Amino acid sequence: MKKQNMFFRMITASLLRRRSRMLVALLAIMVGATILSGLVTIYYDVPRQMGEQFRNYGANMIFLPAGDNDGISSSDSDRALADIDKNNIVGVAPYRYETVLINERPVIAAATDFSGAKATSPYWYVTGAWPSESGQVLVGEDIAELYGVAQGDEMTVSFVPANTSEVSAEKNADENTKENEKSMKFTVTGILDTGGSDENYIFISLQDMQALTGESAAYDMVELSISATQDKLESYADKIGKDVSAVSPRLVKRVTQSETTVLSKLQSLVLIVTVVVLLLTMICVATTMTAVVTERRKEIGLRKALGASNKSITGEFMGEGMMLGGIGGILGSVLGYFFAELVSMNVFNSSITFQPLLIPVTLVVSVAVTAAACLLPVRSATDVDPALVLKGE
Amino acid sequence: MFFRMLRGALFRQKGKMLMIAFTILLGASLATAMLNVMLDVGDKVNQELKTYGANITVKPKESSIMQDLYGISDDGDIQNVHLLESELGNIKTIFWAFNIVDYTPFIDTKVTVGSDTEAKLVGTWFNHHLELPTGETLDTGIANLRTWWDISDGEWIDEQKGNSADTAMVGKALAEKENIKVGDTINVSSTYGTQALRVAAIFDAGGDEDDYIYTSLAPAQKLANGEGFLSSIEVSALTTPDNELARKAAKNPAALSVSQYETWYCTAYVSSICYQIQEVITDSVASPVRQVAESEGAIMDKTQLLMILITIFSLIGSALGISNLVTASVMERSNEIGLMKAIGAKDGSVLGVVLTEIMITAIVGGVAGYFVGYGFAQVIGQSVFGSAIEMKVIVIPIVAILILAVTLAGSLPAIKMLLRLRPAEVLHGR
Repeated sequence: MKKQNMFFRMITASLLRRRSRMLVALLAIMVGATILSGLVTIYYDVPRQMGEQFRNYGANMIFLPAGDNDGISSSDSDRALADIDKNNIVGVAPYRYETVLINERPVIAAATDFSGAKATSPYWYVTGAWPSESGQVLVGEDIAELYGVAQGDEMTVSFVPANTSEVSAEKNADENTKENEKSMKFTVTGILDTGGSDENYIFISLQDMQALTGESAAYDMVELSISATQDKLESYADKIGKDVSAVSPRLVKRVTQSETTVLSKLQSLVLIVTVVVLLLTMICVATTMTAVVTERRKEIGLRKALGASNKSITGEFMGEGMMLGGIGGILGSVLGYFFAELVSMNVFNSSITFQPLLIPVTLVVSVAVTAAACLLPVRSATDVDPALVLKGE
Repeated sequence: MFFRMLRGALFRQKGKMLMIAFTILLGASLATAMLNVMLDVGDKVNQELKTYGANITVKPKESSIMQDLYGISDDGDIQNVHLLESELGNIKTIFWAFNIVDYTPFIDTKVTVGSDTEAKLVGTWFNHHLELPTGETLDTGIANLRTWWDISDGEWIDEQKGNSADTAMVGKALAEKENIKVGDTINVSSTYGTQALRVAAIFDAGGDEDDYIYTSLAPAQKLANGEGFLSSIEVSALTTPDNELARKAAKNPAALSVSQYETWYCTAYVSSICYQIQEVITDSVASPVRQVAESEGAIMDKTQLLMILITIFSLIGSALGISNLVTASVMERSNEIGLMKAIGAKDGSVLGVVLTEIMITAIVGGVAGYFVGYGFAQVIGQSVFGSAIEMKVIVIPIVAILILAVTLAGSLPAIKMLLRLRPAEVLHGR
């Protein structure tokens, strides 16, 4: 008991007496531990955060009507959605397509839920505003050019029920279809630029489409943007295929496959950078510790001359080193978390996930590195005859 | 005398100086590797993002509306609205030609397969070998632009093997419907003729393309009655993420001032590349595929920012480590400095000797560190991207200034402090 007390007293006294030198060592360990915990936290969180960025590419799964069904009813779509983990769903946009007439020319009108479309197609570039209420329409750029409409203009959209032919209705519109034709006035809130075929459509809300056609038909397609790996998406698709027979889920290969390739590259980039930085930092910490201990060769020689055993000297130095390592490790893991948080806020605008397991890991690594760094110089100092050490070389 | 002292210090304290040099080497190599990777990561990620396919489509003026409004045109309007195959080479002559990674022409037409199934037939390049007028060569085609296609049976058509004439790749959905197998010969016909095509592969694209037939340009042009004509070109270009200027320019380049126009034209924005393509292809409209172009910008920005922050952080870390060690090693020499002062050395000359010593060590460590860092950067480049990291010259002065500043910052305050001490006290041991 007494011996242990003495041991601790000697360690703390030596740390406190040589304050400035020990601060130097502590600072080095702390920087090392900060880099360790910060970088590893970032490494673990990057796939999740980057994955969210990849959702910019839009939908990675679509629901199509299975078999000969004409559409997906909203209840079937909801049942299918229930199979997917809610937290992973970034957006869901149901679509219903009908051919409508504008100035007696057929145009494809897509009815959708605009908040959903915004989430599944973040790359859509709208000049003006998204429709927010009934009677508003978003017009594709090509259509806008064709009809010469701009934001704020009104356009009349008419619909001819399905039993009359759709495409050829343009010229041979007979009396009968004229009677069945329903019209609605829409205000253009924005022009849509996507660089794809969507520019040839007009977009209205599902409710307006129902009012225009007078029937609440099912969805033709549901677009989903899910933040998950390709394997996970495949398992979702399998499950939905089994559970809901009316829905045929399909992965958008172009998005899922490419995402897997690029994301794995990015992840291994961060991994390798982390490993290289860590390796160099650890060596840096070790050299600093070695320098600090080597400086004290005289003290080691003096103790030996006074009769201390090699073992007790080594033990004491190691104790000191481990204590420094422990304090540095704790400070470092706290600082590292803040560092990771700072990076995450700056880059991704979102908070980083705290990895509780990293605190013990950082502690163990910093204690081990400092102890190993102390061990070598102490060994070499104790091996030498005290008289030689005290004389100086 | 100065040099003798210097040599003495450097060689007598070999171990200690080596350790400082080693730490500086580590710091310098870390800085070199991280800076190089950071500066090159944009290009590398940009290359990786090419797996998403083309980011620019070129179509004939006025075509898009007519084609899409009336469904696939079967009235042979390729005669009226088309791009010219002969102009394809021009794309590699624009200002940003170097940034164009891949481009592929398409010509589509409606055909009848077998008895009476209608399908879309697309003529294109698979892995076409191009000899450019500039002397460059380029292998391009849909093998690069449709990397996500899954070949469920057979093999990609290889144009360089020379057996690609009159072969076709058939989409999975169509193949199932028509019971087409690899090795079969299918007869496709249009109003302008009939063509027998050998099926080289069945592919799964996970989209509309599963219902299409892909073949070389020549047979498709014959079936469409449009020899030498194209219906669209897809271009995959390395681009810079859009900013305000690029958005303004995309709407109307004429609205820019002369200097803005020059900046825009000479930056690889997707809109300026589109504009330059339109200049060299007659009657064309080149438009960015927003799905790809916008997302690329977002992902590249994020990756670059992430790397910059990690780099800054590790630079701060290694700077602290180096200056720490330098301070420690100067403090250690209080005896020596005391002795020098006691025998009459001036503060200035003491400072000079100690600083020169440390600077020599720093330069040796820094130069060695640069080359070690070069190695680390290549390890990262090869293992992650499978290609070398380009070493930027700008990194050398940055690392040099960094190392010198850090060693100075680490040693100066310590030396100043020691000089303030009285020699007698120092020599006595505090």
